[in-house]
Amino acid sequence: MSATTAPPAEALPVEVSGTQAPLWWGMLVFLAVDSTIFAALISSYFYLRVTQAETWPPAGLAPPGLLLPALSGAVLLASAGPVLWADRGLRRGDGRALRLGLPLACALAALFLILKAVEFVARPYLWSTNAYGSLVWTIDGAHAAHVLAALLQAVVVAVLAWRGHFTPRRRVGVETAALFWYFVVAAGLAVYATLYLAPRLI
Amino acid sequence: MFALGTAIFAAVLGALGYALRRARGQSAPRPFNGNALIAVGGVIIPAAIIISLVVLTALTQRALSAPPTPPALTIDVIGHQFWWEVRYPQHGVTTANEIHLPTGQPVQLRLTSADVIHSFWVPQLAGKLDLNPGQTNTLWIQADRADVYRGICAEFCGIQHTLMLFLVVAEPPDQFAAWLEARRAPPPRPVEPVLQRGQRVFSEAGCAFCHAIEGTVATPPTGTVGPDLTHLGSRRTLAAGIIDNTPENLASWIVRPQEIKPGNRMPNTPLGAEDLQALVAYLESLR
Amino acid sequence: MATLERPPTTTQALTRLWSTPAGLVGWLSAVNHRAIGARFMVTALAFFLLAGVQALAIRLQLARPGLSILSPEAYNQNFTMHGVVMMFLFAIPVLEGLGMYIVPLMIGTRDMAFPRLSAFGYWVYLLAGLGLFGAFFLGSAPNSGWFNYVPLSGPGFSPGANIDFYAVLLTFLEISALAAAVELIVTILKQRAPGMAIHRIPLFVWSILVMAFMIVFAMPALIVASVMLELDRAAGTHFYNPAAGGDPLLWQHLFWFFGHPEVYIILLPALGIVSAIVATFTRRPVMGYTAVALSTVAIGFLSFGLWVHHMFATGVPLLGTSFFAAASMMIAIPSGVQVFAWIATIANGRIVLKTPFLYVLGFIFLFVLGGITGVMVAAMPFDLQVHDSYFVVAHFHYVIIGGMVFPLLGGLFYWFPKMTGKLPGERLGRWSFWLQFIGFNLTFFGMHILGFWGMPRRIYTYLPGFGWDFLNLVATIGAFILGLGFVLYLANLAYSLWRGEPAGDDPWGGATLEWATTSPPPQYNFRAIPTVRSRTPLWDEEEPDDADRARDHTRRMVALPDEGREILSTTVVDARPQGRVLLPGPSLWPFWLAAAVGFIFYGMLFDLILVPIGAVLAAAALVAWHWPREEEEAP
Repeated sequence: MSATTAPPAEALPVEVSGTQAPLWWGMLVFLAVDSTIFAALISSYFYLRVTQAETWPPAGLAPPGLLLPALSGAVLLASAGPVLWADRGLRRGDGRALRLGLPLACALAALFLILKAVEFVARPYLWSTNAYGSLVWTIDGAHAAHVLAALLQAVVVAVLAWRGHFTPRRRVGVETAALFWYFVVAAGLAVYATLYLAPRLI
Repeated sequence: MFALGTAIFAAVLGALGYALRRARGQSAPRPFNGNALIAVGGVIIPAAIIISLVVLTALTQRALSAPPTPPALTIDVIGHQFWWEVRYPQHGVTTANEIHLPTGQPVQLRLTSADVIHSFWVPQLAGKLDLNPGQTNTLWIQADRADVYRGICAEFCGIQHTLMLFLVVAEPPDQFAAWLEARRAPPPRPVEPVLQRGQRVFSEAGCAFCHAIEGTVATPPTGTVGPDLTHLGSRRTLAAGIIDNTPENLASWIVRPQEIKPGNRMPNTPLGAEDLQALVAYLESLR
Repeated sequence: MATLERPPTTTQALTRLWSTPAGLVGWLSAVNHRAIGARFMVTALAFFLLAGVQALAIRLQLARPGLSILSPEAYNQNFTMHGVVMMFLFAIPVLEGLGMYIVPLMIGTRDMAFPRLSAFGYWVYLLAGLGLFGAFFLGSAPNSGWFNYVPLSGPGFSPGANIDFYAVLLTFLEISALAAAVELIVTILKQRAPGMAIHRIPLFVWSILVMAFMIVFAMPALIVASVMLELDRAAGTHFYNPAAGGDPLLWQHLFWFFGHPEVYIILLPALGIVSAIVATFTRRPVMGYTAVALSTVAIGFLSFGLWVHHMFATGVPLLGTSFFAAASMMIAIPSGVQVFAWIATIANGRIVLKTPFLYVLGFIFLFVLGGITGVMVAAMPFDLQVHDSYFVVAHFHYVIIGGMVFPLLGGLFYWFPKMTGKLPGERLGRWSFWLQFIGFNLTFFGMHILGFWGMPRRIYTYLPGFGWDFLNLVATIGAFILGLGFVLYLANLAYSLWRGEPAGDDPWGGATLEWATTSPPPQYNFRAIPTVRSRTPLWDEEEPDDADRARDHTRRMVALPDEGREILSTTVVDARPQGRVLLPGPSLWPFWLAAAVGFIFYGMLFDLILVPIGAVLAAAALVAWHWPREEEEAP
């Protein structure tokens, strides 16, 4: 590569997004860390079930109810919609999608947390009842904490959006927040399958 | 294993030495096919060695995993911080820190723990196996030579992990049978006044909270924290294999166990000289 | 752009843009990768010395049977902290610090991808490390071994605060390791100089990349295990309690799923250092580049399949153990590839026998020996005999000191001129090497035999009459010689920093980009971003000792406008330029965020009321950290 083929740096974009942006990759690697945390928690759940328990859930506990978690899971899943709308909208230059989509997603996340709180309070066992209780409270709690984090992040991004910070070129902040949101939704599905479906199916 | 290891080590160092000589002896490097060296030394030879090792390992494992004949005798070994409880469930005998077994036949050991993880290791008889709480691991061992073998705890188990030893006493079958028979009988009732006084001290000084002696008030469930002392006088060592069982050692152990084995569960017990003497005499009479 | 001789104002503008403010506030707000990398390394070496003193205390206690220099409790805290400090406060941070310092120079960029994250990681590391050592000086350090098995470390058997320090502060500390791993990965993937395609990445950078990926996938298991332990201890959960449906073996699985890769996490960068030194001191690129790079990746993958070999003695099923034994031995193949690649390179090279190369030779000797004993312990019947004996102590010290510390010391010696602009003293360097080499073998070789004779690990004394006395005395003497070697090495560096000969840009004649800039490098590393056409950019066309080479080199550079802290973002595989990225400058927020997160973790140890306060402060600091700067707001 000689001097003449080296690209003139002035021609390169300054605001980068997507796979061009180091921040996007940083979020991806962070999500790899976070996925491993969930994987370790879920593996522990199945490990204790396989090695220690004759019945599951143990000690005469009924399998968790399906309705309320299904409802909260549906709300969480639905919240990905407005995030996607906002993310895609910004790319097209549609600022309205961004300014409306994020608050809508936040509202859905808040509803999810309220439903979860209702479910937590209604549980007939505590984390200190037995190892099953410890697992359910910890895994579900860890996920709820993630939803809270995603919610707070989205609030900050929404405030910036309303102040007109983002443009179709300057959008990596929205992209990474959306990436985290999708991850939290996907992790929610994995947690739902582990805690609510698996005891009945397997 | 060691010969193989040494040979590999020598071969690699030889190659390195050759390379160094070659590199220092020349001014302009001649070409040398490095890729062939990498392929042979780094892939082919190690792969061949590994495959044979895996096969050998599997065969040895299979040979070790099952005894040639099913063991007739089962011994339960229960780890405690920081001593070993030994039970002969088929004969109702309980002892501590000393495993007697007959020579020339496989014996099955069932290992578990009452508290934390310990590991059973008699270097001359068997590889080690952990004693996990809430789980029973089985191991079979066989001693062909009548001897006293040293055993040791091989998993860090707390402040006195170091001084958690035991003995394996392998005896000819008839001798072993006699030993077991003697342990099944309760110890003789004390008749001499000094021994009776010793027995009283045992109950009154608090020993019986932790230790059991068959035929005294201190029968389970109260006396399960420390080793069963029913036949203490017949054991070779005290305090989990660390001191010889002599009256002098026993006396110092009763009075100041925390100096001999700091951090162990037995408290120092100050006793008057005569009480102590009586207690030691009584305990040593339990054969 | 035939000659890129820019007017001197450019250099001044760049210096102004990239400099760190003066004073204490400036020091606390520094984000530059070289400043942070150096802090990591210096702090880690300080912890290394402290943990070395702990090792000497251990050896003194074991010099003769029945000594009582340390009480049993003090001994247990000593050996636990020795392991914890060496693994978590020395080995990982020093390598991450070295990576942070060298990688951006080697790949031709101006800083790490997330400079403020580097600073945050350092402050977390410092706060957690000081807490662990604080616990030690207060006499309530962790005392159940670095492996910290439950139930011994659980609420029932360790009521004191000792284990809380372990569970809480290690989790805090892992944040630092993970932060560094994330940005090392992104920096290596996205900021390589134009032309440094995937087949031209220096082997050292490969090794750091694989290390960082391994941290990403291994550390979370330890975090989860520690959090569950602390919940068991503080909140009454039952993850590890067999009486309530838990299982102590769960801890062992999670711990070793982290713990075994951990060994390779600290080994791989050392292999990368060796490749760098071998190339420079034989004047040849390492032979079999592709095989070496692939074997680095292979070691990374394989090491995740080995954890059960630490648990052969727990009574796991037989079939499983055969699988893990085979997988454990497999790792000998990629390791063998690397060793023979170096030997082949040496055979073809022209050797310059300087101190860094001596360390490499010492490394090969010790590492091969440690590798062979490693294959031995992977065979289960053999392992059951020597597991938890001094044989294993000998084995892993050969692998870790021989395999990681020796290359690291060689590497620090090698890059010292680049970092400081001064040459380290060669005579003292050799002396320290030989003291370390002899002291090391005296200390640890005999331990193989002791282990075979049945001496278990982690015992604070032993009884006379076991026949262990002589070899233990030899080991103690060796340990002091080894310690003297380390002190001499560090004294040499300190003296050279003060009085060393000026080094020049490229004292060893290296081939990689870090040698293309001045020593020490300017705040902005490179005035313009270099481009790369081969694996050995500085050896292209010219003879390696061509004095004009560096100037010649600048002809192929990409100049970035000097309006902001700009770096070049390039594609992941081919390293084609994609865009310019504006990096954030110095900031106090990383420090405040680390302090706020520290509130959360120290709150768990001392007063739970601090936890919510810390959480609110941390959220505020995060927002402030990421709030767009004013100049960006301008349309």
